[in-house]
Amino acid sequence: MTEATANTGAPQERRSRGLSEKGLAFWMVSPSMVLIALVAAYPIIYAIWLSLHEYSVRVAGLSRWAEPFGLGNYQAALQNADFWNAMVTTLIFTVASVFLELLIGLAMAMAMHAAFKGQGLLRTVVLVPWAVLTVVTAIMWRTIFESPQGFVNQIIGGDTVWLGSEPQALIVIIIADVWKTAPFMALLILAGLQVIPSDIYEAAKVDGATAWQRFRKITLPLLTPAILVALIFRTLDALRIFDLPYVLTKGANGTTTLSLIAQETFATNRIYGLGAAYSILTFITVMIVSFTYIWTVGGNIRGLAED
Amino acid sequence: MTKRLMLMLCAALLCGVFVAACGDDSSSSGGGGGGASEESGQTEGAKVIDPSLADNAKGEVTYCQGKDTSGNAHYMIDEFNKKYGPDLKAKLVEFPASADEQRTQFIQRQQAKSGDCDVFSSDVIWTAEFASQKWLYDMSPYMEDKKADYIEAPVETVTYDGKIWGVPESSDAGLLYYNTSKVKEIPATWQEVYEQAKSKGGIVYQGAAYEGLTCDFLELFFGAGGEVLSEDGTKSAFAEGDAGVKALQFMVDGVKDGAAPKAVTTYMEPESLTAFQTGKPAYMRNWPYAYALNQKAKNVKGKFDVGPQPTFEGGEKAGILGGHNSVISVYSKNPGGALKLIEHIGSPEIQKAYAAQFSLSPVRADVYDDPEVQKAIPFATQLREGITNARARPVSPVYPQISQAIYKNVNAALSGQQSPEDAIKQANSDIEKALSTF
Repeated sequence: MTEATANTGAPQERRSRGLSEKGLAFWMVSPSMVLIALVAAYPIIYAIWLSLHEYSVRVAGLSRWAEPFGLGNYQAALQNADFWNAMVTTLIFTVASVFLELLIGLAMAMAMHAAFKGQGLLRTVVLVPWAVLTVVTAIMWRTIFESPQGFVNQIIGGDTVWLGSEPQALIVIIIADVWKTAPFMALLILAGLQVIPSDIYEAAKVDGATAWQRFRKITLPLLTPAILVALIFRTLDALRIFDLPYVLTKGANGTTTLSLIAQETFATNRIYGLGAAYSILTFITVMIVSFTYIWTVGGNIRGLAED
Repeated sequence: MTKRLMLMLCAALLCGVFVAACGDDSSSSGGGGGGASEESGQTEGAKVIDPSLADNAKGEVTYCQGKDTSGNAHYMIDEFNKKYGPDLKAKLVEFPASADEQRTQFIQRQQAKSGDCDVFSSDVIWTAEFASQKWLYDMSPYMEDKKADYIEAPVETVTYDGKIWGVPESSDAGLLYYNTSKVKEIPATWQEVYEQAKSKGGIVYQGAAYEGLTCDFLELFFGAGGEVLSEDGTKSAFAEGDAGVKALQFMVDGVKDGAAPKAVTTYMEPESLTAFQTGKPAYMRNWPYAYALNQKAKNVKGKFDVGPQPTFEGGEKAGILGGHNSVISVYSKNPGGALKLIEHIGSPEIQKAYAAQFSLSPVRADVYDDPEVQKAIPFATQLREGITNARARPVSPVYPQISQAIYKNVNAALSGQQSPEDAIKQANSDIEKALSTF
């Protein structure tokens, strides 16, 4: 610290000691780089290494190259029907939940943005579900959808076994996720709403635009970047869904997701190689989806920025 | 803008991988370090205990088990230290309450060759896995002349590859509870139980896709004469004969004709208990722990009783065995002290206290006759009968996968997504696959 103060005070001195600006930057950044390497890079590389090796359950720690070419685990994973079922389930869950969250989140954000009495209270209330732990959320929704004495069946008077039927079980999981994360979406969109200058609306009003026209022609286009960021965050999160199905159904009735299958293989069955391969495949799926986002909508954003 | 978006995206991605990889890392830490040599037989070359080590045991010994919710472990350790201290002292390490977590904790320690746990309280279904990894002392010489003191079924759970890997500690068995205001006694067969259940409020059990369903299904399956594995444990015998389809068809029909509620496919122990305690169902399949809780539930209090399970028509009785065994880690630095501690846990005094004060099911037959135990566990006679008749779950190093194969497919059949025939076939091929992984 003292050195840094001295240096800023006397650039001459620093140069004379042979530490260029670049060199200084290197030394300043290196502690955090080391930290990132330890906590992020090492586990990732280790996971990749694991996925290329074969582990015997019988003999602890034995590792040999997963034939052929170290890709045996990936081959086994891709040939497993359970993996593809989990992929489909995960994608359905992601598309449905993110879409609903976007709609509801947008509506919530508009409501929170409107100036009225009790606005502060509304903002707080809307955010409550987001603050509830996911596992708690799951247990709560399990109680609500319990059969036959659960709240939902009491109201609609049916005897549907929600968590024991397909596709109802997945629907419950989607509902629980939407309930919990729509407020997060709303929060991100609200931030976007607040940077739209109010004089644009005033000008539109003067020109005689209706409320719907103002929403379609002003709010939505100017909100696109915020919405895209929110969408990407939520999509990446949704593709990794684990806790809701784990607590609600343990993967029964068509609710096994990619993360569930990876966890079961790796942690419960201790087939480390295959489990790691599932994790990496999940990671690749997430990556493909996110880069598709960038390619398809990235141009949009640039266009907007240039306007 | 795009650049910033890219940056944010990368940050988000990194977070994701970081979390995923971190989880991977923690559960595999030391994964490269196991103790065994490569291609020996399943348990060949395992360390064998020398019973004489106990004679002048000294020093400290650590006992690891799940969270001591009822306080029995603290009691047992205190008694031990009173008896053998200060030269030989025991201490307790508590693992998390969840069984999966306990298994993970022990595996991590063994993979790191840590001597943290001299004695571990192992669930009956883990014996084969731990033994085949050569993490446990072969206790056969110690048990040779003591075997007769224990009920046979619990000893079976700790036997693998012809050797005995630990000493039974406490037992558990699937029992049948009934509402005495609806039925007077348990009929002779499961078929009659279901028949009665249809008109008298139903039977509840554990039908969700998890370990509990494996137990509930195996009780009927074993009763119908089925076997999961071949004699030598290397092949699946699950689809041999018609026991599988018969037992599963029976369960599926039960759900269809209303002998069991449809919601049973989502029930674990607590849900079935809650359902039974409403006073509506006539029967509940559950473990001994439910007895004390039923005594406190106002709708069934004084109106229920319990007994061993009936036979499957034309077959036999087969409640499933639960419970724990004490095993000694090969990395223990004090095997003599560990042996002394195990001897203490299995002693009639501790077994009696476990039953009378902590409602644990004893593993010694004579303890059930003790008046104090009879008083504390009013159903002691039925319990002993249940445990004596009970069957162990398949003893295999890949038991978790075998169990998954069973509960996933049985659950799918119960909720109508698969025919019983297909479910049994699929489970059979899943078990074959599991067996081929080791």
